[in-house]
Amino acid sequence: MKSPRPHRSFGRSASAIGTVLLTIVLTTRVESRESARVDFTRDVRPILSENCLPCHGPDREVRKARLRLDVEGEAKRRRGRRAPAITPKDRDASSLWLRVHTDDEDDVMPPRDSKLALTPAQIETLGRWIDQGAEYAEHWSFVRPKRSEVGPTEGAKIAPVDAFVRRKLADSKLEPSPRADRRTLLRRWSLDLTGVPPALDEIRSFLEDDSPFAHEKVIDRLLASPRFGARWARPWLDLARYADSNGFQADQLRDSWAYRDWLIDALNGDKPFDEFTIEQIAGDLLPASTIADRVATGFHRTVTCNVEAGVHPEANRVDQIVDRVNTTATVWLGLTLECSQCHDHKYDPLSMEDYYRFFAYFNNTPIEVSNPSGKGVQFNFYGPKMDLPLAPDVAARKRSLDAQIRELGERRSKILADRKSRSAWERRLLEDAGTPASWHVLEVSRFDASGGEISRPLEDGSVLVGGPIVPTTTYTIRTRAKLANVTAIRLDALTHDELPGKGPGRGDAKRTNFVLNRFIAELVRDTKKAPLEFRRASASFSQKSWPVANAIDGKPKTGWAIAPRFHEPHHAIFELEKPISIDAGAELVIRLVQDYGQGRTIGRVKLSARVGGGSAAPESIAKILRKKRPTRSKKERAQVEKHFAASNDEVRAIDKKRASLQKEIATIRPSTTLVMIEDEKPRETRVLMRGDYLRPQDKVAAGTPAILASAERHDERRRTRLDLAKWLVSPGNPLVARVTVNRWWAELFGRGIVTTLEDFGTQGAAPTHPELLDWLALEYVESGWSLRHVLRTIVSSDTYAQSSTLTADGTEIDPTNSLYARGPRFRMSAEMIRDNALAISGLLDETQRGPPVMPYQPPKIWRHVGRNGPTWNEAKDGRRFRRGVYVIFRRAAPYPSFVTFDAPDRSTCVVGRPRTNTPLQALALLNDPAYTEMAVALAVRVVQESGTADPDDRLRYAFESVLSRSPRAVEHGALKGLLFAQLEQLQSSPQTVAAIVDDKNRAYRVPKSVDRVEVAAWYFVASALLNLDETITKD
Amino acid sequence: MLELTTRRHFFQTSASGVGAAALSGLLAGRSFADARAGAHFPSRARSVIYLHMVGAPSHLDLFAPKPKLAEMSGKLCPDEFFVGKRLAFIRKQPRLLGTPRKDEFGFRRCGGSDVEISNQLPNLQRVGDRLSMIHTLHTEQFNHAPAQLFLLTGFPRFGRPSIGSWLSYGLGSENRDLPDFVVLVTGQVLGAGNSAWGSGFLPTVHQGVEFRSSGDPVLFLSNPKGVDESSRRSVLDTVRKLNAAKLADVGDPEIATRIEQYELGYRMQTSVPELMDIASEPSDTLDLYGAKPGKASFANNCLLARRLVERGVRFVQLFDQGWDHHGSVFGNLPGKCRQVDRPIAALLEDLARRGLLDETLVVWSAEFGRTPMAQGTSGTGNDQRAGRDHHKEAYSVWLAGGGTKRGYVHGSTDELGYGVAEKGVSVHDLNATILHLLGIDHERLTFRYQGRQFRLTDVHGEVIHDLLA
Repeated sequence: MKSPRPHRSFGRSASAIGTVLLTIVLTTRVESRESARVDFTRDVRPILSENCLPCHGPDREVRKARLRLDVEGEAKRRRGRRAPAITPKDRDASSLWLRVHTDDEDDVMPPRDSKLALTPAQIETLGRWIDQGAEYAEHWSFVRPKRSEVGPTEGAKIAPVDAFVRRKLADSKLEPSPRADRRTLLRRWSLDLTGVPPALDEIRSFLEDDSPFAHEKVIDRLLASPRFGARWARPWLDLARYADSNGFQADQLRDSWAYRDWLIDALNGDKPFDEFTIEQIAGDLLPASTIADRVATGFHRTVTCNVEAGVHPEANRVDQIVDRVNTTATVWLGLTLECSQCHDHKYDPLSMEDYYRFFAYFNNTPIEVSNPSGKGVQFNFYGPKMDLPLAPDVAARKRSLDAQIRELGERRSKILADRKSRSAWERRLLEDAGTPASWHVLEVSRFDASGGEISRPLEDGSVLVGGPIVPTTTYTIRTRAKLANVTAIRLDALTHDELPGKGPGRGDAKRTNFVLNRFIAELVRDTKKAPLEFRRASASFSQKSWPVANAIDGKPKTGWAIAPRFHEPHHAIFELEKPISIDAGAELVIRLVQDYGQGRTIGRVKLSARVGGGSAAPESIAKILRKKRPTRSKKERAQVEKHFAASNDEVRAIDKKRASLQKEIATIRPSTTLVMIEDEKPRETRVLMRGDYLRPQDKVAAGTPAILASAERHDERRRTRLDLAKWLVSPGNPLVARVTVNRWWAELFGRGIVTTLEDFGTQGAAPTHPELLDWLALEYVESGWSLRHVLRTIVSSDTYAQSSTLTADGTEIDPTNSLYARGPRFRMSAEMIRDNALAISGLLDETQRGPPVMPYQPPKIWRHVGRNGPTWNEAKDGRRFRRGVYVIFRRAAPYPSFVTFDAPDRSTCVVGRPRTNTPLQALALLNDPAYTEMAVALAVRVVQESGTADPDDRLRYAFESVLSRSPRAVEHGALKGLLFAQLEQLQSSPQTVAAIVDDKNRAYRVPKSVDRVEVAAWYFVASALLNLDETITKD
Repeated sequence: MLELTTRRHFFQTSASGVGAAALSGLLAGRSFADARAGAHFPSRARSVIYLHMVGAPSHLDLFAPKPKLAEMSGKLCPDEFFVGKRLAFIRKQPRLLGTPRKDEFGFRRCGGSDVEISNQLPNLQRVGDRLSMIHTLHTEQFNHAPAQLFLLTGFPRFGRPSIGSWLSYGLGSENRDLPDFVVLVTGQVLGAGNSAWGSGFLPTVHQGVEFRSSGDPVLFLSNPKGVDESSRRSVLDTVRKLNAAKLADVGDPEIATRIEQYELGYRMQTSVPELMDIASEPSDTLDLYGAKPGKASFANNCLLARRLVERGVRFVQLFDQGWDHHGSVFGNLPGKCRQVDRPIAALLEDLARRGLLDETLVVWSAEFGRTPMAQGTSGTGNDQRAGRDHHKEAYSVWLAGGGTKRGYVHGSTDELGYGVAEKGVSVHDLNATILHLLGIDHERLTFRYQGRQFRLTDVHGEVIHDLLA
C-alpha cells in the first residue's frame, strides 16, 4: 500500500484561513450546537479513520503537513503561527473544521483528487464534536475488557447474555421472539455443537424428558460427544489455513494430518485456550515438550510453500514468515498487522518496526525448500518433520517381529557355534573338494511348445525351434538321463543360422532378444511330482533390469533377457537347492515360460546337468580349510563361516525366514508430521524496506506491538516464540479473549458482536453489544479459558433459543438480526451440509483420526502441473463417508462441492466464510453422485428401517429423519404426490429402476432384500428432502 | 465478515433482502435491472476475452524483433543483464540469443501499421493491424505461480480476487442463465491453480466458473442416471412447494433466493450444453477457427469464447499451457504457434464481422516474458537446444477491440530487448487500463475487507491513455 497522491498542505497560513473563515461564518450556524452528545469512538473515529488518517495518521512516511489527527496532543497542538487543527469548544478556531467545511476546491479536505468526500452529516458531526470539547478516547479494543453491571433484570431469573441483549433491544421497537419448539432447539443444538442432526431416538428421548434439567442434560451430552471436536475443528482449520498440499505450481501432497487430529483431540478435551495457544505457537520450545506439543506446532507449518523450479529459497522462507506473522495477528489479535509490512499502518497505531519485531519471533526457522541435486534450480518440499508414534496394533506387530528376528538370530548363532557339526562339515567338504564337478548334456526325450512351434533335435543335444513365431510360448522339455547327485542345471540359449538374425531369440532379426520369465523344474516319479527349488542363478550375461535371478523369483512379469548382446549364445546356470538323483523311472521336466510377447522366445535350447560340486567348496574355501584352525586369519574364518551358513539347510531356512520378517518390518514406517523448529543460531532480523527481503534496513529485536506491549521488557534475554505465545494469552493482550469469543458467537449466530471478525482495529466495526462482548471475554478467561463453558453459556441463553421466524417488524427494523430479537437461522457450512446428509442417510462413518480420505469426486479435478502430480485414489469403502474435516484438502483444487458451498482454498488464513446462494449449489445437491449415493441410502433406510409398509408412516419417518420434525399437511401432500407419481412411472420402467438402484460406481450397495421399485421411488423423495432449503439450514 | 453486495445478480448473494418480492418477480418472469449499473462511465467494451499463454511465450521471437540481438547472438550478455540480478534458472553469465535469421522466424509489418508479427503467426499477421501492442509490460515476479497471481490478482501471493472476479463484482452479467466469469483451459492447469480465477475475499459468487472440455461442462450439470426431464421437474416442483411453504412460514428471504437459484440451475442444464455445442456452428466458421466439435482444443475454446460473449458473459478467460520454453525454444515455438495462431486470428475476425469486436476487449497476455539471453547451453543461436529463461523486466502483450487503438504500438525496449527504453507499463497499469476500457475507474472499484478498501491495482496503476481509441 502506497500513499494516495500528494496533496496540498493541511496547515496553511493563518491569513489564508481568515478569508475562508468569513464565508463559513455566514453560511453555517444554522444547526443547533446543543444537539445530542457525539461519541468519539462511535461517531468521530470512523470519519477520521476513513478520510483523514491516510495522510494525517500513524504512517510517518506519507504524513502531510506534519499533522497527526489520531493522537490527541498532536491534533490540539498549536503549530507555530498556524491554528491548531482542533481547538476544543471552538470550531471556528479549528483548522480541521475550516478545511472540511470550505467549498473552496483548492482548500477543501479531503482533497478532491483523493476521491474521498465527507457528507454534510459527517462534517457536522465533526463540528459538534469540537463544540463539545473534542474529547478523544482510546480505541475500545486496546483497553482491557471490563465487566459491566448486568443491571436490573425484572426480578426474573435472567441470564447475563440475555440481560445485555434485552437492554439494547429495549431501545428498539422489537420484542424478543418466543422460544423455539423443542425439536427445533434439539436440532439447533446438535448441529451447532456436534455438526450432525439428532437421531430419531435422541429426539424421542428428549421429547419424553420432562425434567426441569432436560435442556442442560442435552447440552452437556452434546458438548461431551466426540463429534464436538470434529465440528469445531473446521473453523479453526480455516484460520490455520490447514491443507494437505503445498500450494503453488506442483501442489504436491504433504503429511500434516496429525496436527488436525491434535486439534480435534484438544477441542474434545476442552484444552484451555492459553495452553492451546502456547502449544501451537511454541510447543517445541516448552521445557520437556511432549510429542503432542510438537505436533501442535503444525499450526504454523501449514503455510504454502513454493517448490517450482527457479524459486529462490530465501524469498520463499520470508514469504512464509510473513504469512505466520499475519496469521498470528489475525487469529490472536484481530489486527491487520500485515498492513504495516511495507509502511506504517495507515489507521492503527502499528509501525513498520512493530511488524518486524513480531517477525523476529518467527525468523529463526530453516529454509523449507531443498535442492536435492545440489545444483541447478530444481527444488523439493522440505523442512522439519517428525516421526509419529506407531498405532498400538502396529507397534505390537513390530515388537513381535523384533522378538522373532532376535530369536532366529540366537538359534543361528547356536548352530554356527556347534563345534562338532562344524568339524564334520569341514571334513566332508575337504573330501568333496577332491572330486571336481562334471557337466552332462541332458538328452531330450520330448519337447513341447505351447504355441505350436516345431522343434528339431540337433546333434549336440540342443533343440532348434522353428515354425510359427508366436508372441508368447512355454517350452516343456523332458529328459530321462540317469544321473545321481545333480547339483545344478544349465540352460544354453544358442544361435543358429536358421534363426532370424541368427538368434538366440526368434521374434526379431535385428533385436534377437528373448525373455525367460520363469524357469520351472520338477522331478516326476510315477505320478508323484516334486517341484525343484533353486537357490541361485547366474548367467553369461543379463540385460539391465532383467537379471537371470528373475527367472526363478516366481513372479510372472519379471524375467531374464540379454539385450543388447544380440546374435551371440548365452547361458544360465540354476543351482539346485538340494542335489537330486534322476534314477530309473524318474523324469526331469523343465518348463521355460516366455510370456513377454512379440515373439521374444528362445530359438535354440540346450540343457545340461552338473554332477557333484554343488555343496562342495570352491577352491578358495578348500584352501582355507586345509590350514589348521589357529592359523586361519579373521577374514578367512569369516569366509568359512559364511560358506558354512550358506550350505547348512537349517541356517538357510532361518536366513530365509529372517529376511522375510525383516522385509515386513521395513514396511512399518512411522507416519510423519510437519513441525516447527528453532534454528540454533538465531537469525538477525531487520526491517525490510517495502517488505522486500533484499532491502534490509535497521536491526530489530523480537517484541510485541508497542501499543499493546505489557511492561515486562527489561532483561536482555532473547525473546522466542514461547515468549510471544505466553504474551498472546496474557492480560497484556486486551484483544485475544474478545476476538476469540466473537468468532464463536459468529459461528453460532451467523454474525459477530463485532461484525469485522478479522479486524478489531480502528477501521473495524464497533461492537453492537460491547458490554456483552467484554462479559463473555472475561467469562472465558475466568473459566480457565474453557471453550465449552462459553458455548454452554451462549447456547443455554434465551437469546440463542428464540424462534428464528421473521416478523414484519423484524424484517423492517433489523433485517440482519443485529439486535438478536430472533434466533439464528442461516445456511450450514460446506462440510456440515455433507456431514448432515451423510448422517441422515445412515452412511456417515465416524472413524476418527488418520490420513485424509478421498471420497468420490468427478474425474479430472486434480490436474497436475509439473512433476509428480498426486492422483486421486477414490476410497471405495466406508472411508468415502467420513466427516468433511477428514476429506483431503488440495489447495489448487479443493473438494469441488465444498468450493461450491464457499469453502476457501486454505491458501491463507480465513476468518469467517462468506455465505452465498447459487445455482451451482442446486446442481451439486441434485446431481453430484455423492449426493445421489446418499439419497439412495436414505431411500433404503426408509423402506427397510421405518418398520412399516404404510406410505404415510414411511413419509413421516423420512421427513423426521431429515428435518427432526413432522411434516405438515401441505408438505406431506406434496411429497406423497411425488412418491406415488414416481412409483407409477417406475412400475413399468425396469431400466430406470436399475439405473437408479444399481450404480456400480457407488460403494453403497442396495441390499437384495429390499423392493427395488420402492427404493427407486423413494430415491426421488429422498433427493427432494435433501435439497430443501431447511435441510441445509441451521435453524 | 463480508459485506455482501445487494445488486441483483446472476449468482444472487445472500442477506440482501430479496424476499418474497423476488419470488413473485421470478414467478412473473420479471426482467433484471440493467446489469451495467456498476460502471463508472460509459464505455465501448462490454466483455473481455482474456487469452493467457501459460508458461510465458518468447515474446522476442513473436512480437518484438531485435536485429541487434540477432547480430550479437552467442556473445556473453552485458554485465548489467546479469550481475546483481536474480533470474529463475540462469546461474552463470549467459550468452545472448537472437531470433534465428531464417524466413520462418522473420517478421512482417501488418497492414501498414507499426505492429510487427513473426512469420510463426501468419494468420495473426493478417489481422495484426487491429492490435494495440504493448512492448513494455514489466512485472515483479519471475516464478510462474507468483507471477500469474500478480498479473491476475495484483498481488503475488494467494488470497486476492482475480481480475475476472473484480469485473463480475463491478459489472455483473447480462445473461441470467450463465455465470459472469467463465474459464476455459487447454493443457494442464496453471501453477497458481484455481486461485488464478478465484474471488479472494470477494463473495465466492464472483469466482470464475470453469467450463470443462470433458465430462459435464459445468460440474454436476447433468442429471444422475435414471433421472429424466420429467422426474427432475417433479422433484424440483416438490422442492419448490416445500420451500415456498417454509418461506411463507418463517419469512427468511434466503429461501426466496434459494428457490430462484434452483430455477436458474435448472435453466443452466439446458443453456450450458446448448452453448457448448459448437457443432451447431456453420462449417465455414468451424473451419475459420480450425475447431472440431467434440475434441478439446484451444480452437474450440476460442469459438466458445465468442459464443459466451455473444450471450452476454462478462469475462471469458482462456488458459493455454505449454509455453515455458527453457529449452529448444526455436524447436518448440512452431508447434505451439500452430495451435493458437489460426484460432486467435479467427476469433478477432469473427468478432469483427459480427460487430462484436468493438464491444469486446481481447487481451493476449502471459505472466512474464522470456530473456534475450540463452539458458542452459552455449547459446550460439544455432544451438537447437537453446532456450530462454523467465523475464520480468519488459515483455510484449497486446489488446484488441473494446475501444483500443488499432495498429498501435506502445513503448519500446532497448535494442537487445532487455529493459524498458520508454513508456514502461506495470501490471497495475495494464489492469487499470483493462478496467477503464470496461467503464470502471480502478481506484473506485473497491471492496472493504480487513478494515480497508482493497482494489485490483492496490494503490498503483495508471490508465494508458495513449492506447485508447
